Amino acid sequence: MAIVKAERTPDRRPPVSEATVLGWLRKNLFSSVSNTLLTFVMLYIIYLTVGGAFKWGVLDATFIADNRRECYDNSLTGACWAGVIHWLNNIFYGRYPRTEIWRINLGGVLLALWMAPLWISRVKGKFLVGVSVVVFYPFLAGYLFSGGEKGLFMQIMVASALVAFAVNMANMLAGLFSRQGLGTFALRVLGQDKATGKTQRNVLLVLIAIAFGAAFFWQMSWTIQSVVWTKWGGLFLTLVISGIGIALSLPGGILLALGRRSKLPIVRVLSTGFIEIFRSVPLITVLFMATTMFPLFMPEGFVLNKLVQVIIAVVLFNACYMAETVRAGLQAIPKEQFEGAHTIGLGYWGTMGLIIMPQALKHMIPNIVGSFIGLLKDTTLVSIIGLFDLLGMLRSISKDVPWMGLHKEPLIFGAILFFIMCSSMSKYSRHLEVKLSAGRKR
Amino acid sequence: MDNPDLKAERHRRPKEDFDFFHDQRVRWVLYQILTIGIVGWLAWYLIGNTAHNLAARGMNTGFGFLTVSAGFDTDFKLIDYTPGVGTYGRIFVIGILNTLLVSFLAIIFSTMLGFFVGVMRLSPNWLAAKVALAYVEIFRNVPLLIQVVFWYMGVFSVLPVVRNSIDLSLGSGLMELNNRGLYLATPVFGDNFWMTPAALAVAVVGVVLFRRHARKVQERSGRQIHTLLPSIGAVVLMPLVVFIATGMPLGWDKPVLEGFNFVGGTSVPPAFLALLISLSIYHAAHVAEAVRAGILSVNPGQREAAFSIGLSQARVMSMVVIPQAMRAIVPPLISNWMNVVKNSSLAIAIGYSDIVSLFMQTALNQAGYAVEMVGMTMGFYMVVSLTISFFLNIYNKRVQLVER
Repeated sequence: MAIVKAERTPDRRPPVSEATVLGWLRKNLFSSVSNTLLTFVMLYIIYLTVGGAFKWGVLDATFIADNRRECYDNSLTGACWAGVIHWLNNIFYGRYPRTEIWRINLGGVLLALWMAPLWISRVKGKFLVGVSVVVFYPFLAGYLFSGGEKGLFMQIMVASALVAFAVNMANMLAGLFSRQGLGTFALRVLGQDKATGKTQRNVLLVLIAIAFGAAFFWQMSWTIQSVVWTKWGGLFLTLVISGIGIALSLPGGILLALGRRSKLPIVRVLSTGFIEIFRSVPLITVLFMATTMFPLFMPEGFVLNKLVQVIIAVVLFNACYMAETVRAGLQAIPKEQFEGAHTIGLGYWGTMGLIIMPQALKHMIPNIVGSFIGLLKDTTLVSIIGLFDLLGMLRSISKDVPWMGLHKEPLIFGAILFFIMCSSMSKYSRHLEVKLSAGRKR
Repeated sequence: MDNPDLKAERHRRPKEDFDFFHDQRVRWVLYQILTIGIVGWLAWYLIGNTAHNLAARGMNTGFGFLTVSAGFDTDFKLIDYTPGVGTYGRIFVIGILNTLLVSFLAIIFSTMLGFFVGVMRLSPNWLAAKVALAYVEIFRNVPLLIQVVFWYMGVFSVLPVVRNSIDLSLGSGLMELNNRGLYLATPVFGDNFWMTPAALAVAVVGVVLFRRHARKVQERSGRQIHTLLPSIGAVVLMPLVVFIATGMPLGWDKPVLEGFNFVGGTSVPPAFLALLISLSIYHAAHVAEAVRAGILSVNPGQREAAFSIGLSQARVMSMVVIPQAMRAIVPPLISNWMNVVKNSSLAIAIGYSDIVSLFMQTALNQAGYAVEMVGMTMGFYMVVSLTISFFLNIYNKRVQLVER
């Protein structure tokens, strides 16, 4: 008696509850009476909010009008986006002279190009690229944005920035086409790749010196109109403040965190006190302190402009939050790493800079990005003390005569802008987290 | 009493090269002296400049201004204050109370809403989870200040005028909402009203004892006594019966429209409402994330085991998952409460008289004791945050003791 079947039994179809849309719906939305009820409540809420917002913001909205009255004539129940559209340039660039806006755009494009190599895996020397952005880009951008006469120091820095940018771009191209660093690539082209180390170094130095000379003479011929900082505004000002805040608060935070974990009691107490004081008060009080008390701190006759005061306040405040983020990252590093570093004879800075920080920073990336998002959102507070950042510009639309009292639409537009910036940053950090922890996953 | 062996041992040890600049102890001392020197010099420099500038501008210093009467009024105060008579010290207290009031209410609302949204985020219902996700993402990624201004300018300033107030209490006239704020009726207590709260207290004590008894019975015999319905019944019915038996000694001082404004009751300015709502909504999104992370931190085996002994979804949450998740939820929750207190300072953007806008701005502009006033305001926030972190530390210690 054979109970073995000769032919293969055909596969049964997967049960309806697993494979079809209907099955999915049943499992996820209608699994029980209460669940079904919940689904309908949720559908109703979505209908109310999304439907209402769509009707108000798109169907009934007015996009082209010259003033608020025309919006009302067109539709009483819809949004009046025309005001926002009229003010779009102000929202993005503040009161920057309209003929000079190309400078801001150029600054943005330069930054994007400068940072681009960081995302291309074939390019070598990413660390140097990152450092050069922080060290040189601010001078180039600062000159581009404020213009006017430049002193000798500024001339040197601008020329260096140009060289750094050119080297960076050449390095990117070399990396893209030959997967080599720029140095090795240039030496190979010049036929010096077999020369001694000293000759190679000298050749590279000469190349850089020539480039620097050329850049220096080139930038001497530049004349661009001076734009006072009071004309800066809108999204541009928001990004300037938060950009400087980000670039300076990270190193500041690292120093404070190291101070807080230092073995030297006085350094530790001072750092801890500084961090805790700034972390326990709201940013707005720090901003007020900056504007009311910094003038008192300065020697007589020395006046800081408001933008600088605000930036100092933002940097101090955020450095303290960053310090706590960094400290958390440092605590996650096992003790063996410190001991190992000591064993191979590294001192304090060697241990921290070469062994601990690279690991800790990698762990901390999501939290650091979180702090950056917080900083970007907090920048809106500068509108309270009278700077015309993005929010300041949005609020002044309602004081413009043709658009008198137009509050909702500009604020919603600003909210959408911030939502896009912040959520894409946090999406990116989540992606990075997954990518960086890939090595640890089993 | 020298031990000769030891002494010999000490002599035999190779002598350590003492290099002054490469000795760690010397370096530590030097670094610290250097730090003190730099910080001390900076402090001396700043204080010197400040003193010089204050003298040069003829500004007054000292805390004498606290007893000087202030000439301005505030639209919202919890204690009596008359402009021209009340002192700056009183203004300071009003500011503190206003900040604490709005923060306290916002903490309660945001925590309740946040727990709700956080649990919803993990709901097996796909749609509910996505709605909660959208809520969290939208409100976390938009700056709080924009939300505050939006609620104030976009919602509470465009409410109907006083004459067309919206009645939120379904026609009884107890809550009237218009563009000047929310007008609330205040209760007027009759003679024997005290007996109602007393009855409530008795009921609560009784319920607590009853539940304790029920738990004991369950632990001893495994028999479950249903406590929920009797508890609710006792807490609701007993005060109600007493209230009716004493002849309902409670009246309302209703806001009544007289001329162009309401008279009677109490009123809350629109700025307060806008701040309260935006703080609650914004921080609820943060609370929701903390709650979700806390619930996810509970070992899934716990949940499965609870289901396998036949507990319902709701009981699994309330009796097994949430109590364990609390350990992970409470620390971020409390630091979030601290942020509520700090963020209530955004009141200044919409003119609610909290401590920053009342004391650090208005009073400072009037009297001009910049250093003292900024210092006092920051001091207040430091005291609050130190107090909160003190309690957080106590909680963490207690929780850690429970852990194995």
